[in-house]
Amino acid sequence: MSGGPDEIIHQPIRLRVMAALTAPGCDAEGLDFSQLKKLTGATDGNLGAHIDHLARAGYVETRKAFVARRPRTTVKATPEGRAAFGRHVAFLKEIIAGG
Amino acid sequence: MSFGKAEADAELAAIDEVVRRVRQSRIYRVAGDIAMMWGGLQFLQFAVTMLLPGQTRDWSWLFVDALGVALTLAMLRRAGPPNPARLARALAAFALFYGFGALWAYGLFHFGGRELAVFWRTLFLFGYSLAGLWFGFGFLAIGLALTGLIFAVYLFAGAAFWPLVTVVTGCGYIVCGLWMRRA
Repeated sequence: MSGGPDEIIHQPIRLRVMAALTAPGCDAEGLDFSQLKKLTGATDGNLGAHIDHLARAGYVETRKAFVARRPRTTVKATPEGRAAFGRHVAFLKEIIAGG
Repeated sequence: MSFGKAEADAELAAIDEVVRRVRQSRIYRVAGDIAMMWGGLQFLQFAVTMLLPGQTRDWSWLFVDALGVALTLAMLRRAGPPNPARLARALAAFALFYGFGALWAYGLFHFGGRELAVFWRTLFLFGYSLAGLWFGFGFLAIGLALTGLIFAVYLFAGAAFWPLVTVVTGCGYIVCGLWMRRA
């Protein structure tokens, strides 16, 4: 059985962020902050704090830019983040399978 | 840390839900861009019809529609990883719609100009409505709302039919496309 749940990804908002950023339909350049807000149902401050947490763990990278004079933050899963999310999902499936 | 089946099940369900929504959001974004493009083509078609003389004008829709199909396929191609099967299905869908439409509009019945305009527009919106059963409420809402508006123009616009049907269809597609991109 895989070691255990990933303590960083295990939190519900962070789980949703990682699920969105690693989803098959997600753009290669990631998702912007407003899309993640819709997908997670989190407030600006809450989502920002969780993205910082994931970034400190090396699971995501953020990029800030101005689009049509408005600030836009894009978040993208790193290879480490994708691997960690894959391990977490494998762990969940093992639990379900009764491993 | 204790971790039970119920908790694992809830997390997997949350992941599935997010993945489904990301997929739907991507479909809506691509469909929104395509709808806006077809909205723009409605105005191009109207301008071409006004500018061209005689018989050329009657067949100009063929070129505008061919442009629309080509642009739709190009946008679908750009929207994701290369997938020849998806493009072939889209092309087959267009062929079926145009074949079915031509059979009714030119083979079995001989519609007049206005009826043709309403028929082709609502035929494709019928496809939109059906797509809504698989891809989300947005398609269904757009299909039914625009079909209703086009029929209203057909019944009540009188001499203003051509500019009005262009504005209703063109603006309708553009507004719906913008809405889908934001949904």
